[in-house]
Amino acid sequence: MTVTPVFDEEQVCTGYTCLLRDSTAVLEETIRLRDNEERYRLMVEGVKEYAIFLLDTGGHIVTWNEGAQRTKGYSPDEIVGKHFSIFYTAEDLEDGKPARELKIAIATGKYEEQGWRVKKDGSVFWANVVITALFNERNEHIGFSKVTRDLTETKYQQEALRESEERYRSLVEQVGDYGIFMMDEKGRIVSWNTGAQRINGYTTEEILGKYFSIFYTEEDILNGKPDFELRTARTVGTYKEEGWRLRKDGSKFWANVVITALYSSEKVFMGFSKVTRDLTERKQAELALRESYERFRSLAHTLKKTNTELAYANQELEQFTSIVSHDLQEPIRTIKSYLQLLDLKLDAEQYTDLKAYISRTIHAANRMRELIQNLLHYSQLSRGEILEVTMPTSELIEQALQNLKTSIERTQPEIRIECEVDAVKGDRVQLVQLLQNLLSNALKFTNAEKPLLTIRCTEVEGHVKFSVSDNGIGIAPGDYAKVFDMFRRLHTQKEYPGTGIGLTICKKIVDRHRGTIWLESEAGQGTTFHFTLYEKPSEHFV
Amino acid sequence: MRTYTILIAENDEDERFFMQQGFDEASGLFAVEALVKNGDALLEWLTLNAPRRPDVILSDLNMPGKNGYDVINELKIQPLYASIPVIITSTSPIQSTIERCLTLGAADYIVKPETFIEYGPFVRELHQRIRTKQLIPDAEEPS
Repeated sequence: MTVTPVFDEEQVCTGYTCLLRDSTAVLEETIRLRDNEERYRLMVEGVKEYAIFLLDTGGHIVTWNEGAQRTKGYSPDEIVGKHFSIFYTAEDLEDGKPARELKIAIATGKYEEQGWRVKKDGSVFWANVVITALFNERNEHIGFSKVTRDLTETKYQQEALRESEERYRSLVEQVGDYGIFMMDEKGRIVSWNTGAQRINGYTTEEILGKYFSIFYTEEDILNGKPDFELRTARTVGTYKEEGWRLRKDGSKFWANVVITALYSSEKVFMGFSKVTRDLTERKQAELALRESYERFRSLAHTLKKTNTELAYANQELEQFTSIVSHDLQEPIRTIKSYLQLLDLKLDAEQYTDLKAYISRTIHAANRMRELIQNLLHYSQLSRGEILEVTMPTSELIEQALQNLKTSIERTQPEIRIECEVDAVKGDRVQLVQLLQNLLSNALKFTNAEKPLLTIRCTEVEGHVKFSVSDNGIGIAPGDYAKVFDMFRRLHTQKEYPGTGIGLTICKKIVDRHRGTIWLESEAGQGTTFHFTLYEKPSEHFV
Repeated sequence: MRTYTILIAENDEDERFFMQQGFDEASGLFAVEALVKNGDALLEWLTLNAPRRPDVILSDLNMPGKNGYDVINELKIQPLYASIPVIITSTSPIQSTIERCLTLGAADYIVKPETFIEYGPFVRELHQRIRTKQLIPDAEEPS
């Protein structure tokens, strides 16, 4: 309300004007502003984490909040009115940093940095500083606000992290035995260590940014192996394997590989790490070992074979010794005995029976010759090479029968030939001898009025099988094995003449043709001899 | 001196003839029950003449049909004949042959004389060995 006196021309007060103005709105606005300002002030003062204070245009401190006190250590009484350069290190002061900061703030509106600041007690802290230049509505510069945050702890953590990272990086980089490197999510190489350089041959400059498939053989790449490995690592976390990889010079090395998918702490996929070991030496040692094992196995095989051969030769020799000591000795004893007897008789002038004694001597000598001839024949079979030819089966049988012509004419047997095989392989002379011996026995050991011979030739499980059957006297089961022994006879010379070598020769021939010989018989009913050819594998020694 | 009954198997006809002479010459030591041609004939003789049993059997080793080894093997599994000592005789002086016979169960092994005319000493040697080695139990000595 404004009351104004009103005067006339004579300067006489004639009354008053009363001007009533409603200022409620202004007042309310003022109160509101004040309240608002108060709230901000309280808020600012209460902030503890940040030092917030105002500077006048010269840089002197005007206000001081709780956070400033906590951060810098000064109470408002101590600090208000002081110049803000008090917070700067000697170096910064020398450098004129505080003034420069204010200047930048005025020029650009604000100045922001992180740097070392000094507390009341002289200790330094890592501060995040924002200085803002303040202007009034008439754009006049009225001062600065400064917000400072103590980042020392964060700073140390970052520093520690960086140091730790640095330590690990240098550690990894210096590892020489393992190739360790990082790849991005697509498999491009983003880091490289000494070991990788040593193993793969590339320098860091050469390899960074390249796809890791560069280490794979063409075949592996065609098979999509690198991609498969990354997908596996991505899916299950890691991929491990041992395999051949390529060096820069194109040579191969045997690698132990571990690819690991990498995730940040927020579980964001970041790429892969790959650790490679060169196990070529171990692989080569393994290969050498295997090779050596193979060699020794082959050697052992050879030794075993030789041993079997020796054992066989030994057995043959033993058999030979036994033959010389028994079978060959006997006729000699007989001859000598009769000669001594003749001597005695002549001394005694007894001339009867002398002719008979001489006849016995000649008989024994003949027998001796026969045995020696058979033995020589047999030993030739053991030593000579097999002359392998393919001949018609019919020719073979015919030849054997032809050789027995005399005894066939004498005994008049019925001969049946059932031949399903056109041709056989083997030593012609030996196979003829084999068949001939079996047929000769079939004709010899018979009491039948009408001897019956059956020759069969069939193919059984891929090999040739012959059978020679007769209707003769047969062989008792207990004697089956004996018939193949050298000079072993089941009957006396008188009953069925012979030296007992025929079947021994048969067995030898069959053995040399990698076959089997066996017999079936029933006493009084007849005998069948069976033999096969090339039934056993070639390495089988006979 | 006791006379032993003996059964002999020998395949060689000539040898049998001289053996017989040798046993005849050393009369009183052995009574030859029979001289057969091989092991088969020997087993047949035992069967045919049962329960008569010779005191000792002398067998050649190398014979057609059943040989000396067969004789040892077949007699030792027959309770009736297992106790009869089988003495093997052969021309072979080879140690492995001798050992094989003894291992199989032969009572003794005597190498045949070098010639047939030496069968007299052979027979006396045989008798001597049987007594020395007590191959035939004294209990069976006739009183």
